[in-house]
Amino acid sequence: MARSLYFAPRTFDLSPGQRLRKINWLMVLTLSAVAGIGFAMLYSVAGGSWDPWAKNQAIRFGFALVIMIGIALLDLKWLMGLAYPAYAGALVLLVLVELLGSSGMGGQRWLDLGLIRIQPSEIMKVAVVLALAKYFHTLTPETYRHYKHLIIPVLLIAIPTALVMHQPDLGTAALLALGGLGVIFLAGARAWIFWAGIIGGLGAVPFIWRRLMDYQQDRILTFLNPESDPLGAGYQIIQSKIALGSGGLFGKGFMQGTQSHLNFLPEMKTDFIFTVLAEEFGLAGGLTLISLYVILLLYGLYISVSCRSQFGRMLAGGLTFILFLYVFINIGMVTGLLPVVGVPLPLVSYGGSAMLTVMIAYGLILSVGVQCGVNLARKD
Amino acid sequence: METVRNRLMVAVFLFVAAFLLLSARMVGLGFSPVGQSGEHWTRGLPAYQAKRVDILDRNGVVLATNLETSSLYADPKKVQNPEAAVRKLAGVLPDLAVGNLLARLKSDKRFVWVRRKLTPQQIYQVNALGLPGFFFQAEEQRVYPHGPLFAHLVGYVDIDGRGLGGIEYNFDERLKNPLDADDNLVLSFDVRVQHALRDEMERAVRIFQAKAAAGIVLDVNNGEVLAMVSLPDFDPNFAGRASADQIFNRATNGVYELGSVFKTLTVAMGLDSGAITLADGYDATKPLKVASYTITDDHPKARYLTVPEIFIYSSNIGAAQMALDIGAETQQAYFEKLGLFTAPFIEITEVGRPIYPAYWRDINTMTAAYGHGIAISPLQLASAVAATINGGYLIPATLVHEGEGFRMPGKKVFSPEVSEQMRALMRLTVIEGTGRQADVPGYLVGGKTGTAEKPGEGVYQKHATLSSFVGVFPMDRPRYLVLVVLDEPVGTKETFNFSGGGWVAAPPVGRVIARIAPILGVEPLANEVRGYQEVALLVSDIP
Repeated sequence: MARSLYFAPRTFDLSPGQRLRKINWLMVLTLSAVAGIGFAMLYSVAGGSWDPWAKNQAIRFGFALVIMIGIALLDLKWLMGLAYPAYAGALVLLVLVELLGSSGMGGQRWLDLGLIRIQPSEIMKVAVVLALAKYFHTLTPETYRHYKHLIIPVLLIAIPTALVMHQPDLGTAALLALGGLGVIFLAGARAWIFWAGIIGGLGAVPFIWRRLMDYQQDRILTFLNPESDPLGAGYQIIQSKIALGSGGLFGKGFMQGTQSHLNFLPEMKTDFIFTVLAEEFGLAGGLTLISLYVILLLYGLYISVSCRSQFGRMLAGGLTFILFLYVFINIGMVTGLLPVVGVPLPLVSYGGSAMLTVMIAYGLILSVGVQCGVNLARKD
Repeated sequence: METVRNRLMVAVFLFVAAFLLLSARMVGLGFSPVGQSGEHWTRGLPAYQAKRVDILDRNGVVLATNLETSSLYADPKKVQNPEAAVRKLAGVLPDLAVGNLLARLKSDKRFVWVRRKLTPQQIYQVNALGLPGFFFQAEEQRVYPHGPLFAHLVGYVDIDGRGLGGIEYNFDERLKNPLDADDNLVLSFDVRVQHALRDEMERAVRIFQAKAAAGIVLDVNNGEVLAMVSLPDFDPNFAGRASADQIFNRATNGVYELGSVFKTLTVAMGLDSGAITLADGYDATKPLKVASYTITDDHPKARYLTVPEIFIYSSNIGAAQMALDIGAETQQAYFEKLGLFTAPFIEITEVGRPIYPAYWRDINTMTAAYGHGIAISPLQLASAVAATINGGYLIPATLVHEGEGFRMPGKKVFSPEVSEQMRALMRLTVIEGTGRQADVPGYLVGGKTGTAEKPGEGVYQKHATLSSFVGVFPMDRPRYLVLVVLDEPVGTKETFNFSGGGWVAAPPVGRVIARIAPILGVEPLANEVRGYQEVALLVSDIP
């Protein structure tokens, strides 16, 4: 792997056709496989019908696939130039939606793009990584370990996180903050800062606790002891665990899941869709899907490691980290390892917004992969 | 550059660790007992009640059903400020035992009931308090929409839905474990008949200031009990507030010396055994002295009386002599066959055992002829009287409706000819005898009065009586029997201060018949059916 870093062919100014050929199609195939599992599950949840969910999801995936490949073909330099404007744009939308939401638009947090509605907070997840990658790219290795250079990145993360937290959307806020911190970590900020951050974060728990909404407190209490309220707040988690456990090694068979088909599980087409898979295809099905995610994420890390430019490295690493958080938090949640936060399972859960974010992020990773050997100037 | 690559390696390591953790968790769940049975997490909570099926009357009217409700409980470990919580709860539930609840909330328990079965309004208000550590458990509340109407029959349940009385108790398992949700229990009652009977009895109890009353409407041909009332009664929705006196079922659990209604059985067994015929007669000119006892008539005619006259004027003197002619052994054999020596079979457990002499002397045989010295429940009397006019079969009474055409297997006691004669005699009692106030034009009511002196301290009390009337209609083809027993009625100006069965029990029976006959599809007749006049001739022919 170290060799590839030094002997990778330099690909300056590739034509779009060359870039198309250099896209890692194996990863596109893997993404499609994951999405395909999602279609199958949505088909099953609808009681063996393409309507209403599986069909919509497939159309959206096709749409998102085109966007992803389009992004993968973009020039890395051009993307770097887009970083700050994209961040600024996302921030404006976020503020706008916040203001409109509070001025009687019925808490509208969506932007309607016709086929897909998207949340500014979703765009922000990608934009914050772009902006951070750009920022660290412009610093020299000698300077970016200095603490004063952490002020701007922290602000870049804190402002949108605070806005999203205010919506309130705990899951997205956590993803934003953790994703951004991941980039800072990858950039090489001193390790003790993170230790201090972890300890400080734990110290802040009581203060954060009081700021949380009742239902958020409920979820965490329930996570700690779901059996305390089996018919109320703990219901989802218990039913989810039952579904996972009842699947056994190879599951009950396609469309045979009782937990899902008998409506024991709420949200089974969105956040809890993993349980449908685990019940119907058992341990084997669950581990297969996890393996597909591992392949996708390891490729992202591989790109990050092998990339020559600091921007590409940060971008691929940061986005991979965000995708990892999606997968880990969602599966951790349905298996009862983590509290219930509304984080969908990438590409499998029903819904266009998260799918588009994931596909754009992966498009950027593919793009970095295509232009792996490109050296970018530190200053434009 | 090296730092960055090291950091990436840390990231790779974390990813792998994270996914190993997820996989391990999945494997763990896949083999853990948590997922495979719900056992683990329901522990500590009362089991969610399966639906107890409804109880219906013969026409499908609901007599007992369930309401979904919620009960409030607390997990004391999660209650943050018990004092404040109890104070707030007391605002919503004013009758809450505050001190007791506070003590329980401070205990080490993990489960404490606060209040069972709240109203929707209370649930809303408790939710609005938003108290941590308090939770709702869905429950079912058994509801008896007719209130006290079927209190003694359908029975009642405790707060956990376990049957405690009547059908609810006896059929507890059946009601809890139905074949399916529609497997409701259908009883033999008709809510309209029950209402009419209770209404008339209540009226009689009020007018005659009776202490208590029992009443039965029985289908004489298949043993189905259409109505059964015991007063005073109670509301099974609040069974806990009922006194023992209210809960006591006088129709099945109480045993009484029922008096002259027994002459129905005496005459029937006399005719059936051949000891007497309708043409026979006995001397009733003066009270009968037996050892130290004197048998007198309530309605003395002070002359020679024919068997029909003895019956319709209810002569104790005549009946006592008749019993001697029948013979003690034969009499007891008939009582035995009529089931008067054992507790009757019925689908509730509140059934009294009869009381009768351990050793029968002549005086016992003679008093038993007019219903003294032997105590049976009104239910037993109804079944026995039915046997005298339904063709001769003793059919056990039943409270369960098995479907149209079903008939409890009966036991032959009397011949059909005796049945015919008894119908005539009972009709005659209403036409000319003591039961005239029970007559309802068109329905050919027949019957027999009973006025028993209640046993007091060693003597019978002249003015504390058990007054009864057993009526049957229509007498040409008997279908239904109506029995009303009043405990210690007091005569009124209208009854010339008489408190006998003919004065106080016959009128309510007549009114019940007038009300239920149309409901039960008994067609009224414009003219008297022939047959009864022939017996009547016997009376007027003999001087």
